[in-house]
Amino acid sequence: MAAVPDPLDLLRPLGLSRPLGLLRDAAWTAEQLGRSALGQERLRVAVTGLSRSGKTVFITSLLANLLAAGQGRRGLPALEQASGNRLRDVRLVPAVAQTVPRFDLAGHVAALATDPPSWPGRTDDLSTVELTLTLERSSWIGGGLLGKRTVTLELLDYPGEWLLDLPMLSQDFAGWSAATLARLRREPRATAFAEFLAFADALPAAAPPEEALARRGFSLYQSALRTCRDELGMRLLQPGRALNPGPRGEAPILWFFPLPHPEGGGLSDLLRQRFDAYLADQRENFFEPYFRRFRRQAVLVDVLGALHAGQAAFEDTADALAAIAKALREEESWLDRLLGLGPERVAFVATKADHVPSRQRDALAALLGSLVGTAPGTPSSVHVIASVRCTEDDVATLDGRPVAAVRGVLLENGRSAKVYPGEVPLRPPEPGYWTHGFFRMPEFQPPRLDPAGGAGVPHIGLDTLLARLIGDLL
Amino acid sequence: MSRSDADTAQAPPAAAPRVILEDDAPPSRPAPRLDFGWEQAVVPVQPPRLPSRWSGLGRAAAGLAVLLLGLGLLDAANFVFDQFARGAITGLLTLSVVLAGFGLLASAGWAELRGLLSIRAVDRAREAFARGDLQTARTEAVRWAESVPEAASLLPALRGAASTDELRALLESGPLPALEARASALGRTAAVQAFSITAVSPSPGLDALVFAWRGVRLVRQVAALHGLRPGFAGSLALLRRTVFDAATVAATDIAVDAAARALLSNRLLEQFAGEAAAGAVAARRMLRLASVAADACRIVPGRGKGGSER
Repeated sequence: MAAVPDPLDLLRPLGLSRPLGLLRDAAWTAEQLGRSALGQERLRVAVTGLSRSGKTVFITSLLANLLAAGQGRRGLPALEQASGNRLRDVRLVPAVAQTVPRFDLAGHVAALATDPPSWPGRTDDLSTVELTLTLERSSWIGGGLLGKRTVTLELLDYPGEWLLDLPMLSQDFAGWSAATLARLRREPRATAFAEFLAFADALPAAAPPEEALARRGFSLYQSALRTCRDELGMRLLQPGRALNPGPRGEAPILWFFPLPHPEGGGLSDLLRQRFDAYLADQRENFFEPYFRRFRRQAVLVDVLGALHAGQAAFEDTADALAAIAKALREEESWLDRLLGLGPERVAFVATKADHVPSRQRDALAALLGSLVGTAPGTPSSVHVIASVRCTEDDVATLDGRPVAAVRGVLLENGRSAKVYPGEVPLRPPEPGYWTHGFFRMPEFQPPRLDPAGGAGVPHIGLDTLLARLIGDLL
Repeated sequence: MSRSDADTAQAPPAAAPRVILEDDAPPSRPAPRLDFGWEQAVVPVQPPRLPSRWSGLGRAAAGLAVLLLGLGLLDAANFVFDQFARGAITGLLTLSVVLAGFGLLASAGWAELRGLLSIRAVDRAREAFARGDLQTARTEAVRWAESVPEAASLLPALRGAASTDELRALLESGPLPALEARASALGRTAAVQAFSITAVSPSPGLDALVFAWRGVRLVRQVAALHGLRPGFAGSLALLRRTVFDAATVAATDIAVDAAARALLSNRLLEQFAGEAAAGAVAARRMLRLASVAADACRIVPGRGKGGSER
């Protein structure tokens, strides 16, 4: 018997599945228009990125450098130019009564500045922060009557693993199971998932809804996901909360895994219920409140890390990026576009640019550009940045020949080292490129920093990125 | 080997990424962290004076003002000369009338300008506190204390303050909390009035009018407490700032409320909320307005707003 479609599913592409949300969107659009007319802009900047792409450090550096620019420091020259030198003050918006944790800027800056320094750990919960930029008006009459302009930026930090749940929102359990299992059966995932695949393939189509089976399957699946993330550098791993359950810990809705016979009864019914409940929870508590209504988007990618992790990890990163970009486009209904809820500018950003010498950074940008292509409709740009610059250019000698390298102080033992990162190709490399095997880029110590962060943080290219993302609003 | 040599040299295609430690043996002490001299590189400089741009509207307004004022003056001068031609007494009388009229206009303009400048002084003081500029902060604090009776006793201490933190502590120690308490009292009075009027008023249109009038009066009362005597333009500037601050606090609340009122039927709203609830909301907003207005008039940024939060 054909399943009866949920009326809400039919309305979802039109953006009409949430009457109250629709009301809120209309109010939000009206508020944006009013704010824009009065020169009191407020916008959400979505900082999206896969896990370990450097979102937390990016937000830390962005905040520290903007606050320093508000004190007159000249660490963001391109942004200064874009604003016509009109930036007069930058302040964090005081917390009022938010239920979401606040981004710990002071803690992150202090951890980077202290001896021995440490980088922020894996993000395991949402946190938000807002800051207000105050600018002189260009017209003296406007300035006299309406005072200074302000632009308030809302930023969100979150576990990167959760972003990979976005493509799942348009899938049902059967479709997700088939796509995931097909991916798991290809190397190098097949080896990591061998035990899980053996278990799943052995399950009969009419397996009973036994909790022991569900927990065993999930446990094997989760363990293999962790191996893929931590040892193979894979990114397209779903569901995200199986890898990073967040502060609430593991809930029963997480205990599902892809099944070869997803249409059977019993166990597959139980897993389907959990799959649907999981997606509903992620939509309601993560994507809907935080991933809609953003006007600017920065997509952070650790291109070099993916390149060093080998062909499979590199292709996996490209697939993950493509899946997220497609999901973001699909989630945006025509009503969203009509109400101006979609992103106005998207910047694709290759992070950790200080891991390659300056002469290779253009190649890094070109490689990222060819990976992400161009999204139709939304103006996009490609950038190369280091949120915190930890190295300087140097020369190393390999096999008697001089090569451009970077030099920094290693985090693990405090020893000074040169790193030759290999040649960065301009395009996704040919199969012959992948002969070096896995290379793990060592972590460098941050440079000497003011523990209070008053002068900002040394960076590469952050100002150009900000000028492109928000320069038109300043 | 120079860096340019390295730039021209090409790495062998097969060279794999690698880490090359600079010392063979682990050093007894960790290597010093890199120092890019960032703090010196980004040291603040005096922001350049921005060229003021005349917008089309600005040029039109200025042109209109020049025409009105200039032609009015010329016309008046011609008239005075004509009157003197008719007779000295008539001329003197006309001159007195013209001088009195233009004098009143000029004094009104001067009062407006002073009111507006007094609001700007609050901004100047706050900016000085935020960037730690002791001299400006002290000048502004002294000027403020001279205009506020509650702060008069602090004048010698303010003149002798050695840091912006000390200035801030002195101001926070007595006069500012006292003024905030008085602003709260004004807010409570206005809230009671807003509640009463909203509960008994016959139409929502009248509610809005009364709320707006009482709101403007409240903002001016709070400004007067802080030694500000805003004229029309000054009140406008202060009200704009107060309303924006209040809107920032409650933007979503107000926007959703307005949209709900527009899109849902009144009967439904009345059933769930009722007019008494509307009165309570008006009173709450009046209290908030008093608090935000007091914040907008403080020469020291409020707690949590002072400079960065780091």
